[in-house]
Amino acid sequence: MLRVVPLEAPARIVRELVRHGYNADREAVTLIASADDPAETLEAVVEATPDDALTITTEQVRRVLSDGKGSNANKAASANSNPSVSTGANRPKDHSETGGDPPETKGDSAGIADASTAFGGGDGADRGDAAHRSIEIANDMTGRSTGTGEYDDFVDVFRDRFERLSNQLRGRVNHRPTDTLEAMGGNSDAAIVGMVNDIRSTASGHWLIELEDTSGTFPCLVMKDREFADLVDELLLDEVIAVEGTLADDGGILFVDSLYFPDVPRTFEPSTADRHVQAALISDVHVGSQEFMEDAWNRFANWLHTEAAESVEYLLIAGDMVEGVGIYPDQDDELDIVDIYDQYEAFAEHLKSIPGDIEIIMIPGNHDAVRLAEPQPGFDEELRDIMSAHDARITSNPSTVTIEGVSVLMYHGVSLDEIIAEFPDEKATYDEPEKPMYHLLKKRHVAPQYGGHMRLAPEEKDYLVIDEVPDIFHTGHVHKLGYGKYRNVLAINSGCWQAQTDFQKSVNIDPDSGYAPIVDLDTLDTTIRKFF
Amino acid sequence: MREEDEEYFGRLEAELDVAMDIASEAKTRGGDPKPEVEIPIARDMADRVENILGIDGVAERVRELEGEMSREEAALELVTDFVEGRVGDYESRDGKIEGAVRTAVALLTEGVVAAPIEGIDRVEINENDDGTEFVAVYYAGPIRSAGGTAQALSVLVADYARSLLDVDEFKPRDDEVERYAEEVGLYDKETGLQYSPKDKETKFITRNCPIMLDGEATGDEEVSGFRDLERIDTNSPRGGMCLVLAEGIALKAPKIKRYTRNLDEVDWPWLDDLMDGTIGDGEAEADGDGDDGDSEDADDEEADADDATDEPVKPEGPPRAEPNKKFLRDLIAGRPVFSHPSEAGGFRLHYGRARNHGNATAGVHPATMHLVDDFLATGTQIKTELPGKAAGVVPVDTIEGPTVRLANGEVRQIDDPAEAIEIRNGVEKVLDIGEYLVNYGEFVENNHPLVPAGYTVEWWVKEFEAAGADVQAMQDDPSVDLADPDPEEALDWATEYDAPLHPNYTCLWHDIDVDEFEALVSAVEDGTVDVDVPTIEHKSVEPSILDVLVLPRSETVREAVEALLLEHTQTDTTLRIPVWRPFVRSLGFEVDGEDLTRTWDELSADARSWPNAVEAVNEVAPFSIRERSPTRVGNRMGRPEKSESRDLSPAVHTLFPIGEAGGSQRDVSAAVKHADSMTDTPGEVEVQVGRRECGECGEHTFKTRCPDCDGHTEPHYECPDCETRLSPDESGRVFCDHCEVEGTSVETRIVDVHAEYRNALESVGERENAFEMLKGVKGLSSKNKTPEPMEKGIFRAKHGVSSFKDGTVRYDMTDLPITAVRASELDVTVDQLQSLGYHEDIHGEPLEHADQLVELKVQDVVLSDGAAEHMLKTADFVDDLLEQYYGLDPYYEVEDREELVGELVFGMAPHTSAATVGRVIGFTSAAVGYAHPFFHAAKRRNCDGDEDCVMLLLDGLLNFSMEYLPDQRGGRMDAPLVMSSRIDPAEIDDEAHNIDVVDEYPLEFYEATRELADPEDVDIEIAEATLGTDREYTDFGHTHDTTDIALGPDLSAYKTLGSMMDKMDAQLELSRKLRAVDETDVAERVIEYHFLPDLIGNLRAFSRQETRCLDCGEKYRRMPLTRECRECGGRVNLTVHEGSVNKYMQTAITVADEFGARDYTKQRLEVLEMKLKSIFEDDTNKQSGIADFM
Repeated sequence: MLRVVPLEAPARIVRELVRHGYNADREAVTLIASADDPAETLEAVVEATPDDALTITTEQVRRVLSDGKGSNANKAASANSNPSVSTGANRPKDHSETGGDPPETKGDSAGIADASTAFGGGDGADRGDAAHRSIEIANDMTGRSTGTGEYDDFVDVFRDRFERLSNQLRGRVNHRPTDTLEAMGGNSDAAIVGMVNDIRSTASGHWLIELEDTSGTFPCLVMKDREFADLVDELLLDEVIAVEGTLADDGGILFVDSLYFPDVPRTFEPSTADRHVQAALISDVHVGSQEFMEDAWNRFANWLHTEAAESVEYLLIAGDMVEGVGIYPDQDDELDIVDIYDQYEAFAEHLKSIPGDIEIIMIPGNHDAVRLAEPQPGFDEELRDIMSAHDARITSNPSTVTIEGVSVLMYHGVSLDEIIAEFPDEKATYDEPEKPMYHLLKKRHVAPQYGGHMRLAPEEKDYLVIDEVPDIFHTGHVHKLGYGKYRNVLAINSGCWQAQTDFQKSVNIDPDSGYAPIVDLDTLDTTIRKFF
Repeated sequence: MREEDEEYFGRLEAELDVAMDIASEAKTRGGDPKPEVEIPIARDMADRVENILGIDGVAERVRELEGEMSREEAALELVTDFVEGRVGDYESRDGKIEGAVRTAVALLTEGVVAAPIEGIDRVEINENDDGTEFVAVYYAGPIRSAGGTAQALSVLVADYARSLLDVDEFKPRDDEVERYAEEVGLYDKETGLQYSPKDKETKFITRNCPIMLDGEATGDEEVSGFRDLERIDTNSPRGGMCLVLAEGIALKAPKIKRYTRNLDEVDWPWLDDLMDGTIGDGEAEADGDGDDGDSEDADDEEADADDATDEPVKPEGPPRAEPNKKFLRDLIAGRPVFSHPSEAGGFRLHYGRARNHGNATAGVHPATMHLVDDFLATGTQIKTELPGKAAGVVPVDTIEGPTVRLANGEVRQIDDPAEAIEIRNGVEKVLDIGEYLVNYGEFVENNHPLVPAGYTVEWWVKEFEAAGADVQAMQDDPSVDLADPDPEEALDWATEYDAPLHPNYTCLWHDIDVDEFEALVSAVEDGTVDVDVPTIEHKSVEPSILDVLVLPRSETVREAVEALLLEHTQTDTTLRIPVWRPFVRSLGFEVDGEDLTRTWDELSADARSWPNAVEAVNEVAPFSIRERSPTRVGNRMGRPEKSESRDLSPAVHTLFPIGEAGGSQRDVSAAVKHADSMTDTPGEVEVQVGRRECGECGEHTFKTRCPDCDGHTEPHYECPDCETRLSPDESGRVFCDHCEVEGTSVETRIVDVHAEYRNALESVGERENAFEMLKGVKGLSSKNKTPEPMEKGIFRAKHGVSSFKDGTVRYDMTDLPITAVRASELDVTVDQLQSLGYHEDIHGEPLEHADQLVELKVQDVVLSDGAAEHMLKTADFVDDLLEQYYGLDPYYEVEDREELVGELVFGMAPHTSAATVGRVIGFTSAAVGYAHPFFHAAKRRNCDGDEDCVMLLLDGLLNFSMEYLPDQRGGRMDAPLVMSSRIDPAEIDDEAHNIDVVDEYPLEFYEATRELADPEDVDIEIAEATLGTDREYTDFGHTHDTTDIALGPDLSAYKTLGSMMDKMDAQLELSRKLRAVDETDVAERVIEYHFLPDLIGNLRAFSRQETRCLDCGEKYRRMPLTRECRECGGRVNLTVHEGSVNKYMQTAITVADEFGARDYTKQRLEVLEMKLKSIFEDDTNKQSGIADFM
């Protein structure tokens, strides 16, 4: 069958319509795109639409086409009458092609569908009834930052972390406060729930872990020959763990026999959506950078306009919308757009090419114009105004977004750098970014270690604690694509939309640019779509 | 050597001997760690090398070799001596190599710097993977002070020794090669290298170098790849290794090559590839440019290249130095820019050497110093565009001062510092900042091509003479002033002799273009001559004819006349020029009474296409006109000058340990009363001190003098395990063979500070109220932890001086050179100079008057006022010590500072280990230490803002002890391990040999500058020429005098202004006033280099900060969950507060607005401000506006 290849990409048509002040129905856009001379048709449509109208409907386009404006309107109409056009179908035909892939086969090209030409085929997407949709956002602290940078604010955060995480652990061990341990006498069994205050290796190669609770600290010794000794490699300072063991003769130290993380219960079963609906999980767009991949982004946006993307009703962006200003020295030399507000304007323009009926949820990242210290509140009013066109939901980093019952923990991912740097290669590398994410889930905290690379802004509570186990954990930041499941939690690190920068080249980082992971919310299956 | 030089050194050494005798006598009384003076005298370099190394026999062999070969060759020759055991007492092969390497470095650094002892840790012989052996040299950070050539040669020496000893080459593993590349890169990023080798170069060197370069970790950062390697002990960069590889081998390959050629055993063919630069080229393309500093370089070069490619399109232009903006990098808030690169209105280059001029110095007119709001003072360091990187400022009032426009419209040149002070409040704009004197030798030293000379009287006289004028006769004629003729006279000379117009009447035609030139011509055509001028109306000009040229005012004409630096007065409608005849004649007008007649119609095409008006003016003027100031030198302030006592922090009077008992002030009298609890005896403090044993009675004590019998004590070593008594072996090592551990004399014991204090006071007969506070130290860091006798501290406290780590009292001053002085400026009398052996002035006339110039003797030094006062106090301290502690006669007995004249001092620079003996000749109010350039070079200093110290001779002899030096890397730096009693010009830093010593420069020199010639190609005598001759200590001629060596402000405004904000306000204010400075650029740079890093850094520090207990000082990496201090229950608080994070926020925003910073910069500030608010403001508690209550 002869394929009708639209001359104009739908995204461009949408942008053009927006420029004229109109939104458009999905099908209307498809109709214009499939016209023989889309540009002329578009102009005719704009002309024919009343100034006070907000949306260009399918009817209006049909009217223009049938009026014979656009010489080949008839042909276009006939193309549109192709029987394969589904006007009300709620199952896209290509669903089967993604459903079979086990999500665990990650990263490798076998799991990646090349969508870079996908927009060429068939007809526009028709997204289902908005009535099914639901979005709830939790843990958003935007506009609720109460910390004023006092000493007590910091203490409150760490105490809150300790309280909430120790609650996860208390049921598992029979713990005692650190200040009562010494009195227990030598050789007795004891357990501690504590925040890791210090980790040292002893002269003989054993590990000395100092645990802290609200009454003090206590040294715990992990012998190097214990089978769990290599767990010490994956400890971070300031995370909360529990240990069980025996007190030394003088009661001054605990010999550890077992070590527990708050962790995800083995029995964890994720929730799923009640219907077939998909979410695209992306991050690190970096608009304004000379390396921003505009073409790939446009292909992605175009694809979202196609039937193949019909089920994609949600778009989640995990930070770094723009390249930002002053992120590193002499950055202005490498910026395509030097003005930070212009960067967000440009980003907003790129958002407009996303179909208007897709729900967008986004959090800031370290390149965005919000504070770097975590938790990062969502964008301020000025930036929201700039990005208002698509009515995206903006929440803080990290936040939990529950979409039709599926909870997605969105976190930009700055702490991944530190885990990858500190952990041995077999436990975390840039090539498998989902692995450090598993560790964060295990620790039930998105960025435990204080005082290193991570920056902390003290608030009344620790927004970085993972209270409830999410169904999906979504991060970005490291510009590498990877996904997998940890105890049934789907962890996805989306790639980026920025090609390799000079800096990345100098440190030999090869980013995964131009991919969009698409998750079926009814099955939590994942397909990676490629747009370059 | 001349007889008078011999006599001079003889006098110095005789005096030194007297002091040595007294000090030796004092030392025998046993009150010090050693019973003899611990600073040996070295009469030459060979002595110094031997003394610093402590290897017997080196000096003798060095002297033998010195006559026959160069120092580098001698270093290689000595290798065979070490290997064959003729020099040094080494059994092992690694010991022999180590001795040879250390000796080589010592020789090449003239036995002055600490690098040979502190920069080389050890040499080891280890095993290659194929079972063969290789040599590893362990370098440490202080190898830096050796310089690249000595570093590189040390490797060559090791290799030579290796081959003689039949040890194989080092065969690196692949991961080691990679590791070196990453490590050198990391070190460059963290610490910075003068030369940053490409990864390929580093790998190439590592692979090919037959010696393994190793060393100890010098930083905290760690490499990310290639960690935990078997043969490399650390994951941190090894600074010494990085320096030797990059600044040594990579940078100095050509020099090493020269020496490998002479050695059969050593062959480094790979050096050729390194030198050809074929290594790493490919990499450069692929690598991109990660390094920020480099990319700026690249930009500069690109920009230059663009200019260069543009030029052929334009008509031929005049010769010019390429502008270079490197000096602007890292601009600091509060340190102003005086001129942007090669900018009109900036410093005008004038060649010449003033008598207070030498290595890395710049002559500036004192009026300029005042008119840059006192930011420049004698000794202030500037970062400069050419010929070097930095220079110390010296006042020279025989060059031209600045030209300013006053609020009353007057434009005049200010050549008098007093006038500068008088008018400076009325200055609207500094149109020109004045001349900048640089000597020819400076270009030789920096290997910088000559740049076009300004047209000066010196040059003009040479041309005038060449044109046939009888200059000699005119100089002898009292009615002729060649330097400052009347305009009529100057015009006559120009036309009569066909010589270029006198510089005083040469305008800066190169600073206007042809359009402006034509505008001036029209203005003159429309102008009138006002003959009705009753009195002189322009303050600085005394015209010989009282009439004034009046030009109609337009902005073009005003700006052109200002750019020409033509003195005039501006009114609302006119420009009134009092001395105008040379100007209108230059424009091609004939002057007949009041009538001005234009003599030409059209400019030629050539003149029109020339980039400035110089061709035009030469075409129309009836005489030739030179470029007045073709070279402008951009610069900015670097460091302020320094003259202050060197105190440890906190200041220390006595190196006696009192633990925490003295509080944070380390107050001994507080320690005397201190007790940890009610049950403790006040004054009893637990400290670590060295155990000593009395040679007379066997008593054990920590004191240097036996409390029982007053005998001298020596350290008593024991094995820490078996407690056997041990004694040090020949190398000074104390080792228990039985237990195989190091022995020590250090023990922890209770010292009764109360008793010590009372006894010390009593024994020297002092009362507690003789001083305010006696400060001790917390603990001792020396190897044997020998405390200093507290008596010495009591006298220091009494006389208000403090002790350096080695027991000496020191005073720091910025180094400046001087070769001729006059009694009047030194605050001494002619008689005093006479008594020091100065009998003739520089012209050979008998010395009779205080204003006669005499040539400075090489070891005579001028003290700043502050140093003199400090030396007086030190002298009193030494006298008290001699009388009351050692029981000898006082030595100095000085009341006034004039009595210090003739006393000997030590001069000593940081990073070195040898002191140089100097003699006080006089005093200056400038906050610097003026001395002969050879004296500074003997300490291995130049004068680009470097500073070093003086010590009073007897203080050093009596109080210095090796026993006090910290037992750590670098501990022996900055300590007088040896002293040089006389300076041999051949054995000093050869930089000083590049000082020119002539009275005038030849005409060919000035002409060569316009060819941008290589300085070596010009024949001007420099100090190098007289080395080894009778004249090596004398005949330092100079081209420029200065009235006084301390003209201008005594202190830079940088030091007199209070807060950083005041300094920055003044800096920005000044940037607006100076024509050659782009104030927006200054503001941008201040924001970029100062405010933003501060704000970003503090914000980052805030969100990952440590906390500290306010009560006990305990530090916590993270806030304790207990909230209170876990140690003492005290209040814990942050170490970084909101106030320290945002202290510059508002100022930065204001500066960005006021000075029109780029939007990018403004937005960075905006985003930062938002980030600060987000952290420090409670969103839910926003301040309500007044509107909420209406």
